[in-house]
Amino acid sequence: MSAAARAAESGMTHVLLEAEAHLSNTIFRYQKGKHVMAEPGILPLRSPVGFEAGKREAILDVWDRGMADLKVNVRYQAEVTAISGQRGDFTITLAKGETVRARHVVLAIGMQGNLRKLGVEGEDLTQVQYQLDDPEAYSGETIIVIGAGDAAIENALALAEAGNIVSIVNRRDEFSRAKDGNNSAILAAIEEERVGFYPSASPKQVESLPAGHDSGKPLRLILNARDGEAEIYCDRIIARLGAIPPRKFVESCGITFPSADPTAIPAVSAQYESNVEGLYIVGALAGYPLIKQAMNQGYEVIEFIAGRPVQPADEPLLETVFARMPFGLSVDENLDLIQQVVPVLAPLTTLQLREFMLDSVVHCPRDGEVVFELNDYTNSFYSIVAGDVAIQIDPHDPQKTVVLSAGQFFGEMSLISGRRRSATVRAVGGKTVLVETPRRSMNKLLQSVDAARDVIDRSFILRAFQTQVAPGVSAEPLKPIIENSTLEHYKAGQALFSEGDPGDALYLIRSGSVTVSRDIGGNSVPIAYVAAGNYVGEMALVSDMPRMATVRAAVACDVLKVDGAAFKALMASEPAIRERIEAQYKSRLLANAQAEQRSRDGSMIGFLVSQGLGEATDVLLIDESLCVRCDHCEKACASTHGNVSRLNREAGPTFASLHVPTSCRHCEHPHCMKDCPPDAIRRAPNGEVYINDSCIGCGNCERNCPYGVIQMGAVSAAKPKLWQWIFTGMGLAPGTSVPYDKSSGTPKKAVKCDMCKDLAGGPACVRACPTGAALRLSPEEFMELAAERV
Amino acid sequence: MSLHESFLTHARGRWIYRAAVLCLIAVGLYVWQDPKAGPNGGTWLGYGLGSVGLLLIVWLALLGARKRSYASRLGTVKGWTSAHVWLGLSLVVVGTLHTGFEFGLNIHTLAWVLMMLVIASGLWGVLVYRRFPSLITERRGNLPVEDIVREIADMDRQLLVTAAELGKDTHERTLQSIQRTQLGGGFWQQVRGVSERAGDGLMSRLRDELNKPVMAAADPQMQSRAGADGNATMMFVASAFVSGEQNARERETRRKLLDLFSRKKALVASLNADVTRRARMSLWLYLHVPLTLALLASLLAHVVSVFFYW
Repeated sequence: MSAAARAAESGMTHVLLEAEAHLSNTIFRYQKGKHVMAEPGILPLRSPVGFEAGKREAILDVWDRGMADLKVNVRYQAEVTAISGQRGDFTITLAKGETVRARHVVLAIGMQGNLRKLGVEGEDLTQVQYQLDDPEAYSGETIIVIGAGDAAIENALALAEAGNIVSIVNRRDEFSRAKDGNNSAILAAIEEERVGFYPSASPKQVESLPAGHDSGKPLRLILNARDGEAEIYCDRIIARLGAIPPRKFVESCGITFPSADPTAIPAVSAQYESNVEGLYIVGALAGYPLIKQAMNQGYEVIEFIAGRPVQPADEPLLETVFARMPFGLSVDENLDLIQQVVPVLAPLTTLQLREFMLDSVVHCPRDGEVVFELNDYTNSFYSIVAGDVAIQIDPHDPQKTVVLSAGQFFGEMSLISGRRRSATVRAVGGKTVLVETPRRSMNKLLQSVDAARDVIDRSFILRAFQTQVAPGVSAEPLKPIIENSTLEHYKAGQALFSEGDPGDALYLIRSGSVTVSRDIGGNSVPIAYVAAGNYVGEMALVSDMPRMATVRAAVACDVLKVDGAAFKALMASEPAIRERIEAQYKSRLLANAQAEQRSRDGSMIGFLVSQGLGEATDVLLIDESLCVRCDHCEKACASTHGNVSRLNREAGPTFASLHVPTSCRHCEHPHCMKDCPPDAIRRAPNGEVYINDSCIGCGNCERNCPYGVIQMGAVSAAKPKLWQWIFTGMGLAPGTSVPYDKSSGTPKKAVKCDMCKDLAGGPACVRACPTGAALRLSPEEFMELAAERV
Repeated sequence: MSLHESFLTHARGRWIYRAAVLCLIAVGLYVWQDPKAGPNGGTWLGYGLGSVGLLLIVWLALLGARKRSYASRLGTVKGWTSAHVWLGLSLVVVGTLHTGFEFGLNIHTLAWVLMMLVIASGLWGVLVYRRFPSLITERRGNLPVEDIVREIADMDRQLLVTAAELGKDTHERTLQSIQRTQLGGGFWQQVRGVSERAGDGLMSRLRDELNKPVMAAADPQMQSRAGADGNATMMFVASAFVSGEQNARERETRRKLLDLFSRKKALVASLNADVTRRARMSLWLYLHVPLTLALLASLLAHVVSVFFYW
């Protein structure tokens, strides 16, 4: 539409072939009254027809009038069935048998004509639908919405509004693909129980029930959910799983796809030209589903066809990003260079790459400059565009390094595991050029481009193996292992394997953590806690005996399952690995035997893990046999943090006089970070998770924290005067928590523990404890503590 | 070394060692010196010990300010507390040797007596701080206090709903009982213990009554005892069993009400006992701090009188 408008505006002969009886079918089919967003906000619009965020009706109206004003030549109900020919001579066949001839063809069909289905039995039942035109058409029904994108969220909210009992099923536990506004809205609805939520669940089967079934419902949906299978009876299922390219049609036009992946989209040049010269593709089918972007492309493609070079709208923004690139190249040349050099970015379309680069930062470190240090808590991802970096593999010897060169990437370990950096990385040679991408953009990429995720997953497997199991072993002998490894996801509490099972695999924990427990006298007694980056399950492989313990996910875990036979073969050929594994085996055997004798130790681990210490990086623990309940820890917190304490000493459970107060655990993958619209929650280099000033007070983090350690409050400038208070008793006592004063006009923002990162000498709560009861501990110290308190 | 380390052994007993050295030096010098007029506060050692003692006392009193200077980076509060305890104890030696054992009915001896009282109250504090924290945790049974309070509020709601089913009278009595429930109280009340306790004997007796529904008449002895124990509401509820005019459902509701009452009473009692233990844990401070202030005042008098009137 935008292309036709631009063609009309610039006086070119054109025809807009529209399959339907109206323009813009995708937006036309949006639900009534839908608020259409105009993302990305920073991008200027350059189409001859207007577009601003607003209601569907208003937008369609603006477009219809714009098209009429420009006298665009539109043929309605002209569905295209085939396109043949080449530049200068295309023949377009319509469904009615007519043909249209053209010199250039712009394919702007999007993907909505080809919706993705559930892919399970029962997907074609009549009550299972993939579109929702008017949510008002239903009321009083039990409706399950499946999907995690904007469409699913908007449908679920509107259906709930219309008086239906709505639940939303999401394959993951967050809605990170959705726009920020929708994300907050659905989280609020779930929180207020207006919409039910099945996180980390996927449909297994849909069954049609006979009329008069006990449930009174016509459908039964079976879900694979976090805690096993769930059965839901409902009236209707609305699956909004996005669309996949209409591959058959596109391929019949001669356009090729880069991979067999059903979600793959055809590759286009920076001028949006496909491999068929003269045949251009814009919009969702070219990899960009946002309306504004597509409209801009419509304008741009006409300029390209007319031979008028035009810079993409994001050009000035990218110029700033690339300003630091040393080669003096244009934006396009830089993008080409990056894509040629860095294989992990190769599967991206130009447009995806442009967006990726918009969020990234280019670095040109000097020779020897440290990119990040071992144990830093940063979690961005680096691609090497030019030059080399050295990864220090021995923390004590800076000379022992592995060199990575242009095209490779690093930083993915921390990105995936959420743990500290596993090694120090330095630039070498002084010609290094790096692209640093923040965690958020990288996760978006990994979620939307499967090919890129595969590359990174495979590399993660190899590197995790090289660091944890087989240091110094090159990639070649590990190949069979990598090929025989699978990435598996376990829910909290799910067993990786159980005592007595045959030992057929080694498990490398990629993210999350696990507990090892043994059945002692009929009770399951946890004997150890193993964090991300380590492995479990080697004992049965070494001894060829059944599993000696049960290993369960303490929190949701991504685990790499390495085939046992392949691993045994590796041990046979690499004696160094065998030795290492056997040493580990012996120490575990010893630990198990010790743990059996002290079962309280085990329950202590169980307690700590149940309190979220399985995902903590630093936690405040109070020894209640020393704590005199003076609350100076809370007062110190309030006093050093704008008179709002971020710690509740009294709250929280106690086990064997060890008390876990309500205070931030600085999780590996902070739950609070998930849905922060302004991206205000950050991790400082030393691991502190803190909230910066850009907080908008939406409360998402408060809702997302499973430990209740974030609260909404307003810091105040009040400064209690110590000596005045001591001598006269007047004024505020030091450490008073000043209650929120609405009249001050200060908005409430999220406040949480920042581990006093800006104060010398460490956390004020610990420093203020008069008796030594308060301690902050790292995961390594939990075990020590558990062992000590027997 | 334990991860959690008590203030008493802070930094591997650094302050025990230092305080002991201070005492040894004081005793050594005292034994070694041989003043003509016998040992007293006026000798060079007397002045020396007196100055050290005075500085120590002033510094010890500053703990109150240090522990509230939350942004202070001047050592940790734990270190200060440790030093406070051990150096404070060393004052027994330093201060007493300063007197040269010349006691009398005067302002000077008053200062020494007050000092010893402050130290004694401090020692009590140390003992209390060793025992009570564990005791509080043990007795509370791992349930956080705020959960207990929430539970009690929840039971009150349930009590009212259940009582309403049994008619206006019961509802009103229940409401009154809830309004009379006392959690905590003034400081002395906390220390002594809040009096409303569930009479265990009475409870078991009520249960017995439930199990033999048909009784000739209300036992006057039981009623009088109920009054004495302040359990009038429970007796009121229970007495209906005795009258025998009830259907099975009403009986069941009554039983539920009684059950709720007894569970709530147990919770209230345990919460009040918890409050009492906390109050007793901090009781010593109410002696230690005022005595310290009195000590500082008497020291001022002592120093002024020594320098101006001796």
